[in-house]
Amino acid sequence: MATRHLIIGGGTAGINAIRTIREEEREHSEITLVSAEPPYSRMVLPYYLDRSIAESHVFTATARVLAGWGVKTHLGRRAAALDPKAGTCTLDDGTAVPYDDCLIATGSSPVRAPVPGADGPRVHSFWTLDEARGVLAGIARGSHVVMVGAGFIAFTILNSILSLGARLTIVEMEPRILPRMIDGTGAGLVEAWLETHGVAIRTGARLARIEDAKGRKRLRFAAGGDLTCDLVIMATGIKTNLDWLKGSGVSVNRGVVVDDRLRSSADNVYAAGDVAEGRDLISGEPAVHAIEPTAQEHGRIAGANMAGRDVRYRGSLIINIVEVCHLDVASFGAWDDPKAEAASGVRADRPAYRKLLWRGDRLTGAIILGPSGDIWTTNDVGMLKGLVQSGAPLGAWKAHLKKNPFDVKLAFIASGITKALLPETILGRPAKAPGDTPVAV
Amino acid sequence: MRVLRLHPEKCTGCLRCELACSYEQTGAFQPAKSVIRVSPFEGHTSYAPYTCTQCAEGWCMTACPVGAITINAAGAKDVLDDTCVGCKLCTIACPYGTMFYDPATRKAFKCNLCGGAPACAEACPTAAITYEETATADWLGDFARERTARVLTGVS
Ligand SMILES: Cc1cc2nc3c(=O)[nH]c(=O)nc-3n(C[C@H](O)[C@H](O)[C@H](O)COP(=O)(O)OP(=O)(O)OC[C@H]3O[C@@H](n4cnc5c(N)ncnc54)[C@H](O)[C@@H]3O)c2cc1C
Ligand code: SF4
Ligand code: SF4
Repeated sequence: MATRHLIIGGGTAGINAIRTIREEEREHSEITLVSAEPPYSRMVLPYYLDRSIAESHVFTATARVLAGWGVKTHLGRRAAALDPKAGTCTLDDGTAVPYDDCLIATGSSPVRAPVPGADGPRVHSFWTLDEARGVLAGIARGSHVVMVGAGFIAFTILNSILSLGARLTIVEMEPRILPRMIDGTGAGLVEAWLETHGVAIRTGARLARIEDAKGRKRLRFAAGGDLTCDLVIMATGIKTNLDWLKGSGVSVNRGVVVDDRLRSSADNVYAAGDVAEGRDLISGEPAVHAIEPTAQEHGRIAGANMAGRDVRYRGSLIINIVEVCHLDVASFGAWDDPKAEAASGVRADRPAYRKLLWRGDRLTGAIILGPSGDIWTTNDVGMLKGLVQSGAPLGAWKAHLKKNPFDVKLAFIASGITKALLPETILGRPAKAPGDTPVAV
Repeated sequence: MRVLRLHPEKCTGCLRCELACSYEQTGAFQPAKSVIRVSPFEGHTSYAPYTCTQCAEGWCMTACPVGAITINAAGAKDVLDDTCVGCKLCTIACPYGTMFYDPATRKAFKCNLCGGAPACAEACPTAAITYEETATADWLGDFARERTARVLTGVS
């Protein structure tokens, strides 16, 4: 009988796993997908919000594509319980789906600030396609939007809100913006940049409640004046979707604990993406990396192992990039490691900042800020990722980079990073193009 | 597959490859849009071109959330303009720093080997760029290590 694979969650990790199973398997298997939402990429939602793409553009696999791949689907259904001993997953409508192996790829969900009024009308999260539709419908030219939370996800939709002609105020509880993406110096530069582009920012502001005010919304704070606006977006963090695994016996910590093959503690149960706690490439420690590249790599490794290959994962690297008002902001790896040796540089003539972090003569983290039109900013973004990813000892180049943090390319080329990286692939073979997934026979 | 082989010791820094590349890719001579880039070494006494290796993993391609990077007939990773949303994930995923982004069009762009007839190789008067059937490699590492010894010891 054909192996029965069950994929739970059809986001980035789930779809990458399905494609990889089809690429790797020797014999055609049965694949079933259970997903609360149809397959799409969340990180494309900002471009739907600014109307630069149609809604249909966000989908990563349509019903027709899934049928072409020979995938049976339960879309709009949630997994409610998992019984790894029996090899069954029970859905929210009571259907029991038997499997030989399964992948937990249920991602994460947004969390709202625990204040009165947080669930009221015209208060939105921005995580799902449904929520994106709601926000798009609620913003008009001239609207005043208040974003609660100044983290990475908030920043991914900042340009979109401005391009819809809305006025934007960002409020953040921490004393500065982007507290989990860049350091204080970088945050100061981004804050000043945004203010010159008309974005109002209030940091150190503790939201107390949200009230209705004659068809508008009023935000009250523990200290300081009220804010009145037309729409509130809560970008106040996310939590992993683990609750449904209670009683399954699958070990969870901050996420589903997985080994270097993306296997959980339960037999034949894998986990990938936002919901998984895998290895951090830099520290070697377990970590939840709720970013797209980790979901892609996890999904591919899990899929290959489910298809019968034995593929080890080297660990995931935190990489984040966001552009706000033509300023690129990016960070890599252990950019906030307090034990690292650090060197930084600011350019006086343009908004450009670099910070490089070292353990010994290896680059373990970096922060980069620069105009998005600068070729060298874009190219250095990639090379910094390469330096951190390769973990190559930089010898004498370390001192050079510490003195000249803007001279990345020379150090990259001369220390042979290309040679170190070229043999590296995720699956131990060249990657296939997105359109090359074998279709069912 | 045929790849761009770089011979840095032959490069004179004439920048014809950058002109040819931008012309082929955009229809205008604008080196700022070139995806092959010439770097100076040792106080502009030697030069070397640098571009996408068409690496086996294709980190740019596997990172793209919408499948906008594919493999063209020449075997090159190629951006499909109509599909690219401009999210920049490929620019941070490519560990060689050979992805580009155009703020005017909000699209990523990269070397696509001109579909099998690379304009840079044709334009180079000294054959410092050749289009050959060979495995991709680190063409510049050894050259650059030699030419930068003085930068590192602080003599220059
Ligand atoms: C606006 C926005 C912008 C972003 N921008 C970036 C960015 O620029 N760079 C970056 O790296 N990351 C970005 N991210 C984060 C990135 O989208 C996530 O890390 C990625 O989607 C994680 O993939 P995943 O497969 O683990 O989870 P998801 O993509 O969230 O998929 C999980 C799937 O599981 C389904 N599901 C949940 N519970 C159940 C259940 N019980 N049963 C069945 N199905 C279930 C969900 O409906 C969903 O389909 C962004 C996210 C958002 C919202
Ligand atoms: S752009 Fe970078 S990641 Fe993409 S194929 Fe070229 S070298 Fe590889
Ligand atoms: S910028 Fe375009 S090609 Fe690059 S990852 Fe985003 S959508 Fe894909």
